[in-house]
Amino acid sequence: MKKKPSNGSIPGSFRDPSGFLFSRDGTLFRQVNTVYKDDYEHLMQSGLYQALIERDLMVPHTEADVPPERGEGAYKVIQPERIPFISYPYEWCFTQLKQAALTTLEIQKTAFDFGMSLKDASTYNIQFFKGKPVFIDTLSFEMYPEGEPWVAYRQFCQHFLAPLALMAYTDIRLNQLLRVYIDGVPLDMASTLLPFWTRLNFSLLSHLHLHSKSQSYFSDKSVGKRRYKMRRVSFLGVISSLESAVRKLKWKAKGTEWADYYDDTNYTRGGFQHKQEIVSGFLERVQPANVWDLGGNVGVFSRIASDKQIPTISFDVDPSAVEKNYLECVKRGETHLLPLLLDLANPSPGVGWSNNERMALIERGPADAVLALALLHHLAISNNLPFGMIAEFLSGICRFLIIEYVPKTDSQVKRLLVVREDIFTDYTQEAFEAEFRKRFTIRESVPIKDSERTLYLMERAEAES
Amino acid sequence: MVRSVIRVVAVSFLVFTGCLVVSTPSYAYLDPGTGSYMLQLLIGVLIGAAFAIKFYWKKIWSFLTNRRSKRQKNEEEAE
Repeated sequence: MKKKPSNGSIPGSFRDPSGFLFSRDGTLFRQVNTVYKDDYEHLMQSGLYQALIERDLMVPHTEADVPPERGEGAYKVIQPERIPFISYPYEWCFTQLKQAALTTLEIQKTAFDFGMSLKDASTYNIQFFKGKPVFIDTLSFEMYPEGEPWVAYRQFCQHFLAPLALMAYTDIRLNQLLRVYIDGVPLDMASTLLPFWTRLNFSLLSHLHLHSKSQSYFSDKSVGKRRYKMRRVSFLGVISSLESAVRKLKWKAKGTEWADYYDDTNYTRGGFQHKQEIVSGFLERVQPANVWDLGGNVGVFSRIASDKQIPTISFDVDPSAVEKNYLECVKRGETHLLPLLLDLANPSPGVGWSNNERMALIERGPADAVLALALLHHLAISNNLPFGMIAEFLSGICRFLIIEYVPKTDSQVKRLLVVREDIFTDYTQEAFEAEFRKRFTIRESVPIKDSERTLYLMERAEAES
Repeated sequence: MVRSVIRVVAVSFLVFTGCLVVSTPSYAYLDPGTGSYMLQLLIGVLIGAAFAIKFYWKKIWSFLTNRRSKRQKNEEEAE
């Protein structure tokens, strides 16, 4: 597994001359450069920082009395509160991206009241912290140059409005374009992919379709930008128009692949309750610092962990399941659960410059405990992954593993084998245990009542003390 | 100022009408920032105008209705 460097500058933080993030002895710091001094002081002294912190719109920081990472040009070092898990927009569901967009605009409006403006509107400046989207880039604020349009307008449209419109009106899975295009969805592509009728919607016509045409039209023309000034009412009107456009975009999670899974399971009520009790007991026993629930669906089992105040990430491949899970988090005001979209057979890779700007999933681990419930048969049978490879992967991302063995005689496995030849002669409980024992020590195994399934509590072999 | 606004509106009108036909992909931008800048100015002008119209609408409406009732009164007096 690729290890994160414990010291030095953070690879994703190199574009902004105002400063950068660095890590020292496991603590995260941000160096503020002298070139950003006036803007930083205005942010702190004008009341803007306080206003944003009071409304939970930005991650708080303290000024740290430590030497800068690079002495030349350094003004200050600040220590932001650490976000426990960094997630990326291609891992967010529709409502997460929408809330991130609205948070960005709210911050922009607040900054404008204090004479400042956001100089960028990247989705990567938003993280989910204690159940809410918060802004993490303290150095993104600049003194507003009177009469100038919003410098981050294009970026906002590419990073937020275009993917949201595509998810709402073309295909929910198009948020994956953000994985390919690190600076947001190109507007000409969004314009091509959106249905024709979206040209009849003024907001989408202007901010996406016309915007794309305008980019194309002016691409080889020289324009004296200084001649044109924007009135404050117009500036606020543009922000308000973007906000209205985002608010109107809606997507309803339908019962796709897994969202209705629990209505269509082969557990009895008693068996399902027993499974929940076993998972709860295993978690009580190992008291993990954090949990990743792989194939978490709508978060029923993730909540066993998060309700114990354990920071939990609930991953699932189905956008509907993640959407339903997140809406439940919002409804219940949950602060310890973060649902994210993830195809475990093709997890988020390292992307950007040098494959290092955005971390791969495994670089963001390991988790203290992983839940792999009703998952094994999908990996082994649907994806042809041998038990040995599954065990190797899981041992790289966790210390404790709570895994469910689902036999071939189970109705869910039979369903997977209906349309394909059964080539899985090694798919037996004995083979499963033998392969996993190479990487883990089996601490406990409990058969689930009224079913043929078994739950295991394992600990990574080299992690034992 | 008024001349600048007219110029922005005039240039951007071409973009507006151009977009009403089906979009075609352009594979490379020399400077997508200029297009974003100009488009934002246009939208700002339109929205600013809409705000102004909304703000002054009552005054305009009462001005028009007053004129109309005054004209009617004059016509009645003339008869």
